[in-house]
Amino acid sequence: MGRKVAIIGTGQTKHCSSREDVNEMELIYEAATAALKDAEMTIKDIDAVVLANMELFEGRALPDMWCGEGAGGFMKHAFKISTGGTSGTSGAISGYYHVASGLFDKVMVVGFEKHSEGNASSGMALTDPFWDRHIAAAAIGNFALSVSEYMADRGVTEEQSAKVAVKARRNACNNPHAHLQMPDLTVKEVLESPVLAYPIRRLEMCPQSDGACAIIFASEEIAKKRCPRPAWVRAAVTRHDHIYLGEVKKRLTIMRSLREAAKVAYDIVGIKEPLKEFDVAEIYDPLTYAEIAWYEALGFCKDGEGGKLIDDGITLMSGELPVNPSGGVISTNPVGASGTIRVAEGALQIHGRGGKRQVPDVNLVLVTGYGVYCWSDLLILSSRPG
Amino acid sequence: MEKKKGQDELLRITIHMKAHYRFPAGSHYERFFKEIKETGRIMGVKCPDCGRVLVPPRPVCGECFSKTEEWVQVGPKGKVIAFTSIYFPFIDGTTGKPRPIPYGAGLIQLDGAFSAINHILEEGDPEKLHIGMRVEAVLKEKREGNIGDILFFRSIEE
Repeated sequence: MGRKVAIIGTGQTKHCSSREDVNEMELIYEAATAALKDAEMTIKDIDAVVLANMELFEGRALPDMWCGEGAGGFMKHAFKISTGGTSGTSGAISGYYHVASGLFDKVMVVGFEKHSEGNASSGMALTDPFWDRHIAAAAIGNFALSVSEYMADRGVTEEQSAKVAVKARRNACNNPHAHLQMPDLTVKEVLESPVLAYPIRRLEMCPQSDGACAIIFASEEIAKKRCPRPAWVRAAVTRHDHIYLGEVKKRLTIMRSLREAAKVAYDIVGIKEPLKEFDVAEIYDPLTYAEIAWYEALGFCKDGEGGKLIDDGITLMSGELPVNPSGGVISTNPVGASGTIRVAEGALQIHGRGGKRQVPDVNLVLVTGYGVYCWSDLLILSSRPG
Repeated sequence: MEKKKGQDELLRITIHMKAHYRFPAGSHYERFFKEIKETGRIMGVKCPDCGRVLVPPRPVCGECFSKTEEWVQVGPKGKVIAFTSIYFPFIDGTTGKPRPIPYGAGLIQLDGAFSAINHILEEGDPEKLHIGMRVEAVLKEKREGNIGDILFFRSIEE
C-alpha cells in the first residue's frame, strides 16, 4: 500500500464560462497560490508538481510548456497527466503515488482548462480518423447513445434526470467557485430546455468552463504537523475499459470500469454498505443520467433503483448521502480540472472548510473521475489515516 | 470574471489554423477498407482466445492482449443497440464543417459480430427509432475505401 498520504490544502479559481481577465498561466497561479495559502506553505515547500489537462481544447500542444511555471514547477520534478475527463483525478492519483512511494513528501497537483480559448467541439472532433471522425458528435452524441440503452434497461425517467440537474445547480449556489448557480431552477424548466441529442437536453448536460484547481498531498509526518484535520487517501484505483464505444457493452447500465474500481477500493477500505458508510460523495457527473447510473455502479442502491434515490431525496444535501454538494461537473466543467475539483471538494469536506456547502461530521468521502468513453478513477478519503 | 457590458475591451488574438495529417491504416484496417471498397463485404476479426468477433477489426484484442488473425464476414444486416438523434450542429471531423441536422446515429451490432459499430441511421426521428430494430448497411456506389463507404443504416422489415 505504500506510505500514508493526506491532502492538506486545496485551492480553486472562480470557474465560469470565460475568464477573459486572465491567461492560462494566471489562472493556474490563482489556484496554486490559493492551495499553498490553505496549506500554510510556500512554493519552496513543494518537492514535485503534477499538472493535469485535457490537451487540444486550447489548441496548444504541451500546455504545461506554456503555462506550467504558473504552478511553480520551475526546476522541480514536474510533469503532466492527460487522460481525458479523468485527467484531474488521474493527476491527483499520481500526486498520491508520488508521496506514497516515499520518494516525495509534499506534492502539488494542478488541474486546469480554459475552454473559452478554443472550441471543445473541434477538440472532440479529433477522434480516431478511421472509425470515429465520420460520426462522432462530441460527448453529448456518444452519451445520448448510452442513455437510450440505459433508459430501456433500467426504466429511468426524464423527470428523474431533471431532478439531478436541479439538485446540482441548486447545490452550486452554496459553492462560491461554481459556474452554473441556478437557485430557482425547476424540473419543468430542465424538461423544456432544447434537446441537443435525443433524449439529452441542454440543462441535463455539463457546461464548458474556465478554471483551475490545486491540491497539496503530504506524507504522514508533515500532514500531522501542518493540518489540523488531514484528508487521508485510503484507496486510489484506476480502470480503463475498451477504447471504441461500440465495444463497450452497455456503458451506463453496467459501467464496468467504475464497478470494478469500486469493488477494489471498497475491499481495501472494508466498505460493505457504501450508502450508509460514506458521509459525502463527489462523483464526476458529465450529465444527469450518468449520475443516476453511477449510483448503481457504486453500489449506493441495487441496479434499477438509481432513479428512486433521487426521487426519495437520498442524495440531496439533506439526504442520507449528499452527492456533489459542490454542484458537480453538471454545474462546473473546466475538464482538465473537473476531476481535481472532485478530489479537492471531497478533501475540504473532511478539512471542515466547506463553508455553506459543508456537510456536518464528515469522516469518509467517495470521489470519482470519468473519462473518454468509459474510464474510471476512484478515491476514498478519510479523516482517519487507517 | 466574465466580461461585463461596458468593460474595456481586453486584448485577445484570434488564430485560424489549417493543419494536415496522414494516418497509415495498418494491415488490419487496410484489409477492411479494401474489402468494402472492392467487394462491398464488411469483415470482422475473431480473437483466437475469447472468440469475440470485432468490428472495427481490432489488431489486438483488448481483453486478451492477443493478435487477431482470423477474418469473418459480418452483416450487412444487424440490429440497433443504442440510438440518438443529433439536433445541434456538430463539426464533421473529416471535413471540419458542421453536419446538417437533425440526423440519426446509432450503435449497430452487425449479424455475426460481438462489438457494435458507431454509425449514421437513415431515420432521424427518435419516435421512429427503437432498440432492437433491424437495419441494413447501405453502401456507396463509388466506394473510396473509408468508413464513409457505408452511407448509413436503413431500417428493414423481416
